[in-house]
Amino acid sequence: MLNVLPVIILVIIVVVLRFIFAVEARSILNLFLLGLIIFMLSFTVAEMPPFGDPGNPVFNEMCLRYLEDGVAETGAVNIAAAVILDYRAFDTLGEATVLFVAIAAVIATLQSHRKEE
Amino acid sequence: MEDQIVRMTSRLVVPFIQVYGIYIIVHGHLSPGGGFSGGAIFGASLVLLALSFNLEAGMKQISHQTASVLESGSAIAFLLAGMAGVFFGGNYLANRAAGYPLGEAGALFSSGAVFVITLFLGIKVASTIATLFYNIIEGED
Repeated sequence: MLNVLPVIILVIIVVVLRFIFAVEARSILNLFLLGLIIFMLSFTVAEMPPFGDPGNPVFNEMCLRYLEDGVAETGAVNIAAAVILDYRAFDTLGEATVLFVAIAAVIATLQSHRKEE
Repeated sequence: MEDQIVRMTSRLVVPFIQVYGIYIIVHGHLSPGGGFSGGAIFGASLVLLALSFNLEAGMKQISHQTASVLESGSAIAFLLAGMAGVFFGGNYLANRAAGYPLGEAGALFSSGAVFVITLFLGIKVASTIATLFYNIIEGED
């Protein structure tokens, strides 16, 4: 019975939008779906672990390894650079590949348009 | 577009932007920044030059052909820098295990593969921006 109130509010909002402000039915549906996404994302954020809490799952042995042995193992003082270019270099290779494929696609599209003119 | 103020300002500012971009790329393993951000700064200076003067003035720095070659070449160089790890007894994209000299932590020439890959990434991002810009501008003529 507790769920009746939000439904009534929703119906009132839809009726007001549709018949008083004359919004299209399609737009109302879009609005409803966007609201649903916002609602679910808000709940996801509320369930996230608190920021900076030492008990968070991200503070595991990987984090300690990077911070304590990172400089000795990679020689890079900037730990972010050590992670993205040494420990996770394969990921950066993928990023560079994405960049390359994107520019190749853009050039291919532009060149084909030029040829038609 | 003929604007004396824009031309004069960009003529004064572009060298500093380029030096700053190179600084960000080269100090990628020491300070915040790295290949992606430094390359974007360097590429932006080329775009600024081509916008404030004309395409020919921008092309005089790095031509379209050179930018394309640099873009593909640095991607291949990245792969080869990683392959060095395989040839010298380590994993692909290995750093210390591949025999790259790590040097003294905090020095400019240190951290082996991190420095090399940052350099190639910076060249790649800068030439990617230049190539993209030249392609779009040339299409408008």
